Amino acid sequence: MRGATSGALVLLAAFATRLAGQDPRLAARLDPQTNVVVGAIIDSARTAKLPTAPLTDKALEGWAKGGDGTKIILAVRQLSVRLAHARTMLGTTSSADEIKAGAGALDAGVSARDLARLRTAAGKRSVTLPLAVLTDLVGRDVPVATATNLVVSLARSHVVDSDLTLFQRNVRLDIERGADPSTAASTRARGLILRTNTSGNPIR
Amino acid sequence: MPENDELNLEQISRELREPVALDASFDARVMAGVRGLPRHVRRGVWSRLTTPRTVKVRPLSWAALAAALVFVAGVAALAAYPSAGEVSRRPVVALFQPTPRAPQRVQFVIVAPSARKVAVVGDFNGWDPEHAAYQALHRGGGVWSVTAQLPAGHHRYSFVVDDSVWMADPTAPRAIDKDYGLPNSAIVVGGSTQ
Repeated sequence: MRGATSGALVLLAAFATRLAGQDPRLAARLDPQTNVVVGAIIDSARTAKLPTAPLTDKALEGWAKGGDGTKIILAVRQLSVRLAHARTMLGTTSSADEIKAGAGALDAGVSARDLARLRTAAGKRSVTLPLAVLTDLVGRDVPVATATNLVVSLARSHVVDSDLTLFQRNVRLDIERGADPSTAASTRARGLILRTNTSGNPIR
Repeated sequence: MPENDELNLEQISRELREPVALDASFDARVMAGVRGLPRHVRRGVWSRLTTPRTVKVRPLSWAALAAALVFVAGVAALAAYPSAGEVSRRPVVALFQPTPRAPQRVQFVIVAPSARKVAVVGDFNGWDPEHAAYQALHRGGGVWSVTAQLPAGHHRYSFVVDDSVWMADPTAPRAIDKDYGLPNSAIVVGGSTQ
């Protein structure tokens, strides 16, 4: 009976994979039961017009990190929820990269409301890199509120991506040298905003 | 006076009602006169087009004709070259999008003096530690590196040392991973322009 059930699931998974154009790597790496559930979550996301590649990647990441089926299913489902929240707060015209970065920021502890603040501050410019930098700051123990306010201010000042990358690197180096994370981030952000606002051509 | 007028009118009308006597040669003289007129020739389209004629046109009409010609030429040019507008916008896009959205070569570097094997795994290679294109080479002094072509976009990745130890890229932004509990890094390839 159990063998028949597993066989049916394998057939169902293979059929679903072919039907939905699911990534064949999922069927190859995940156990049949996990693959069916993950496939269903991805189908739901596709129906909701959410980007599905991050969900596939999350499942493959779980496989690579040795996670069991339950953990992988939970991770994929939670990511789909975060993607939906991120899309709602960033706007339906946001790119897949922005939504993915937004989901990452939510996972780091940034509030949905702050995603909307960043979107408003950036206007029509992409928030992918600002969100990645925000997530990094939080990961380096800059308080969420401080990190969010700083990145929103940088976006409002029209800081370009290359300067934002430089900002992230400088803050990381300051922290590695022993600076307080919050102080390092605030100081670097203030300097960058000052230079951007006065010259429009920040010093490298 | 009115009586005289009525008499005059009556006399005039009586005179007019009198039949007019025509001589027998009248019809012949009329027809001879008609035959003496130049013969009417039915001209064809070609004859109408090739016969020189004088045309008078107001300057305003010439201006209207010129404007119509310019309009028609513009419409024809747009129809023949539908991408003409895009071509003119390209330099502007290039100014504000210095980082192309095409795949870019990215170098991953990590210092792992005691490692025997280092691989890069991430969204770009299905998190496959055995992916041949993402196996780092030992450059000496404990430095391992690999350069790979990455598609544009936001990617999460990590180093896998000796098939067992997961290490975030110390020089890259951190990507929080509460799901599986192992460190990841983030990279945005091709800038974050839309």
